[in-house]
Amino acid sequence: MPSGGRREGRAEAASPAPAVAGVSGARAPARGLSLQTSRRLWLVIFLGPAVALFATFVTYPIVSALAYSVYGWEGIGRREFVGLGNFVRLFETYPYPRLLANAFWHNVIVFALTMLVQNLAGLGLALILARGPVGARTYRVVFFLPVTLSLVIVGFMWALFLNPVFGIVNKALAAAGLAGLARPWLGDPQTALVTLTLINAWRWLGFPTLVFLAGIQAVPDEYLEAARIDGAGEGEVIRRIILPLLAPSVTIIVTLTFIGAFNWFELPYVVQGVSGPPNRATDVLGLLFYRTAFGEVDTGLQDIGVGSAIAVLMFIVMGAVATFGALYLRRREIELA
Amino acid sequence: MMRRVLVFLVAAVFTLPLLPSGAFGQEPVKLTFWSWRTEDKWAYDRIIRVFEQRNPGIRVEFIPYRNVEYNTILSSALTAGRGPDIIHLRAYGGLETFAAPGFLAPLDVDKVPELKRFPLQTMVGARSRKDGKIYGVPFATQTLVVFYNRKIFREHNLSVPRSWDAFLALMKTLKDKGITPLANGAKEGWTLEVLSGVVAPNFYGGTTFFEAVTRGQTTFRDPTYTNALAKMLDLRPYMPQGFMGVDYATMQQLFLNEQAAMFIGGSWEIGFFKEQNRNLDFDVFPGPPERADQVPWVSSFADGNYGINARTPHMDAAVKFIRFTATTEFGQMFTDLLRQLSAVPGVVVRDPILQHVQAMNRKATPYIMLVGFRWQAPTGSTLLQSALQAMMAGQMTPAQVGDEVTRGLSSWVDAFRR
Amino acid sequence: MTPASRRPRSLWSPLAHAVLMANAVLVLVPMVLMGLSAFKTTREIFQRPFGLPATWSLANFQRVWVEARFGDYFQNSLIVTVASAAILVVLGAMTGYALGRFQFRGNDLLYVYFLSGLLLPIRLAIIPLFILMRNLNLLDTLWSLILIYAASGLPSAVFILTGFFRTLPADLDSAARIDGASEWVIFTRVMLPLVRPALVIVTIYNVIPIWNDFFFPLVFIKSDRLKTLPLGMTTFFGQYYTDYAALFAGLTLAALPVIALYVVLSQHFIRGLTAGAVKG
Repeated sequence: MPSGGRREGRAEAASPAPAVAGVSGARAPARGLSLQTSRRLWLVIFLGPAVALFATFVTYPIVSALAYSVYGWEGIGRREFVGLGNFVRLFETYPYPRLLANAFWHNVIVFALTMLVQNLAGLGLALILARGPVGARTYRVVFFLPVTLSLVIVGFMWALFLNPVFGIVNKALAAAGLAGLARPWLGDPQTALVTLTLINAWRWLGFPTLVFLAGIQAVPDEYLEAARIDGAGEGEVIRRIILPLLAPSVTIIVTLTFIGAFNWFELPYVVQGVSGPPNRATDVLGLLFYRTAFGEVDTGLQDIGVGSAIAVLMFIVMGAVATFGALYLRRREIELA
Repeated sequence: MMRRVLVFLVAAVFTLPLLPSGAFGQEPVKLTFWSWRTEDKWAYDRIIRVFEQRNPGIRVEFIPYRNVEYNTILSSALTAGRGPDIIHLRAYGGLETFAAPGFLAPLDVDKVPELKRFPLQTMVGARSRKDGKIYGVPFATQTLVVFYNRKIFREHNLSVPRSWDAFLALMKTLKDKGITPLANGAKEGWTLEVLSGVVAPNFYGGTTFFEAVTRGQTTFRDPTYTNALAKMLDLRPYMPQGFMGVDYATMQQLFLNEQAAMFIGGSWEIGFFKEQNRNLDFDVFPGPPERADQVPWVSSFADGNYGINARTPHMDAAVKFIRFTATTEFGQMFTDLLRQLSAVPGVVVRDPILQHVQAMNRKATPYIMLVGFRWQAPTGSTLLQSALQAMMAGQMTPAQVGDEVTRGLSSWVDAFRR
Repeated sequence: MTPASRRPRSLWSPLAHAVLMANAVLVLVPMVLMGLSAFKTTREIFQRPFGLPATWSLANFQRVWVEARFGDYFQNSLIVTVASAAILVVLGAMTGYALGRFQFRGNDLLYVYFLSGLLLPIRLAIIPLFILMRNLNLLDTLWSLILIYAASGLPSAVFILTGFFRTLPADLDSAARIDGASEWVIFTRVMLPLVRPALVIVTIYNVIPIWNDFFFPLVFIKSDRLKTLPLGMTTFFGQYYTDYAALFAGLTLAALPVIALYVVLSQHFIRGLTAGAVKG
């Protein structure tokens, strides 16, 4: 395939904003009515099926589920309309407010830690791989392997490795003379959440690595050559040329990390169970919602109303942050490009 | 490339089974029976075969789901007007969730005359608080006990401790000899609640306190209760290293592989332990009381019920099966196969360990949170389990645990509101 | 150009290689341990979790294969994954193209609308979804899974693809349009090949969770013959939940097809992902 177009694209995008505006600009001049109509028809063809599918199988069920938050519930039976009653309960009835704040804070930690550890490491690995060291191909394949594993496998495997009685991690520490560092990683309130985030990073690291690698390799070589001829150091090349042109990849990774962190569910569920042990040290919003709405294995009762209210809050908070974040990142992307 | 994908897609689509599978023709009535007891499937299959031989027109299929997903699946199905004909239900508040909104068929004595024989106390877990009707046939009574490895005890000349101090001394002896005394961990909160169910009743005074707290005469802030919880802290030195990270499966493995001398758990483990390690020589004793001359309390509870989906199209067949589960014949098979105490009266217990459990039950007290405080969310169990994890990790004092539980429960237990 | 011509600097090399090697070890060791455990007995797994198995017995695999109907489940998983990924990539590309290249009223609104689907785990809507599937008469069919996976994968596909389509130069499609090419031709022949890396990202990002999901099959699929691999495995684990040996054999078997597929296709896949640079 011709990559010329892609390079041109970057080159043109280097002059800010118009790149996006230009898309419409080229088409905007008034043409015949038939063209207008045919354009509309094409839009319907392009967008129609996806909108229909998405509306039926995502929007409709989610809106219905969110609507549960304004009803009273008797066990699993829906009763009368209660307005904001469930929200009042969520904010005023102990222990819900404390659980909510606790879980939300954990989501923030998971996001920050994932950005810091997983995504920075991914960027570092991508920068190294982009230089084409011996075995780069093999490394690329190997690094991505864990991403192909199911979270059930990943979670189960790491839980066993970190098991205080049978696990290898503490045994390895003891063998290295660091027995003092050995601890119940997933059971200690101090370390459980961090450990869980690191397991997640182990599983996902290959993804940002490859996305960044793709972004770096899309940087036109002429730019790099020119900068090097001008005597720019390696660090400067990375900072001045590679990172700015990496903006679209960064947007993708930051957004997906944010969303992944805030509706994190699968891994904590598999490794720690639905109650976020020990004492809610690994509780996150996804678990809190699920547990409230569907009950805690066999000890908790279902409270679908309050559970749905939690989901509504998640939706509002994430929606607000994601919208502002996406707009900001997109603007920055255009400025940087 | 695109075209190849398309061709594959079309091919795939045509080979897809498009319609839901269903029964055709004049087959016998087929009942589905959902449960969370995946590990008991073999036993249920055998019991069901007996039922099917008696009732040639009825087929029953036992479908277990993992306990963690069972509630979600059952709720979704029932809400949508589907679900199984026969439902394995939990007891007390766990039954109420489905009974109160009308998803279960009430079982009056006309429908299931066998229920008349069940003792009133057993039926508490099957009765809805909303309308006072019965919605299930109780299947088992569970008791919380201490399991011990007889071989290890024999080798070290140890005998069953009759008092708390003797219990601690025994564990110290074991630990000094390099044996992990207790298999218990704290990673799964419910195992801690079980631990409290074995340790605490002897110190809070069993049923007397239960009655007082359920009637609202006192709360869980009562030092009688929190001092009893504090006894759990005495056990920490004897639990496995890193016990905060020890989960249920690890606990079981430690005891099964004879790496730990004792295991505090529920009577439902008997069958499992025997099945997993036939050479394991073990028995049970009750949680030790303060003084050796006291008869110890044991926590016990109705484990769950078999109920009928209110919207089953096969009500007659379902009632037939439910009546079968209330017969002594069923109870006997249940007890013999699964080595659990059937809730059906008149069952003869043959397993020696189970006989010991049965004997202990003469001084049984209700498993406090399950029986008394699992009726609305947040449940006493949910609150207690998390707080106990904090206590065992050294982040909360027993008094704070009592306060946390009382505060959480006060949202629906009126008497707890100051 | 090839990556090799990027002039590696000798100064960095030893450190860079150490980092790469360390990460490779970190990735591979746990996976190798999983594979080894599949050959052990349960007791061996707990007592010597990190040694080599005492005997290289295939008994665990055999049990899983026979008792867990592996073959049937595998086929169902394949159908569901391929069909839903195909639908979501095709529809995602069409949507991304329309949103990324056409200026029309409501464009931003539609973009945000699709994005909103990223904000909540679809699992929270399980009760309404179940009722919907019942009303559409899709309960206990593979269609219920395909439609949900395709629909819930759309937001990420639209998000990634719209971004990529936007970065393509403006004169590409207008030139083709002036040449009189139809919109469909412009889309399939001109634009689509240019976003191949993004299509690869979207496919990978979605295929893996779809292949591995057990929650929706658990709720929607009742017939044994329609179970997918993760569901079949989960049910199997449920009945043998302390049989770690069988569990590891099952996990290894379940992971193997994806890993094999990935290793075989990895060169393709990475080339696709980095297409912009690799081909000159």
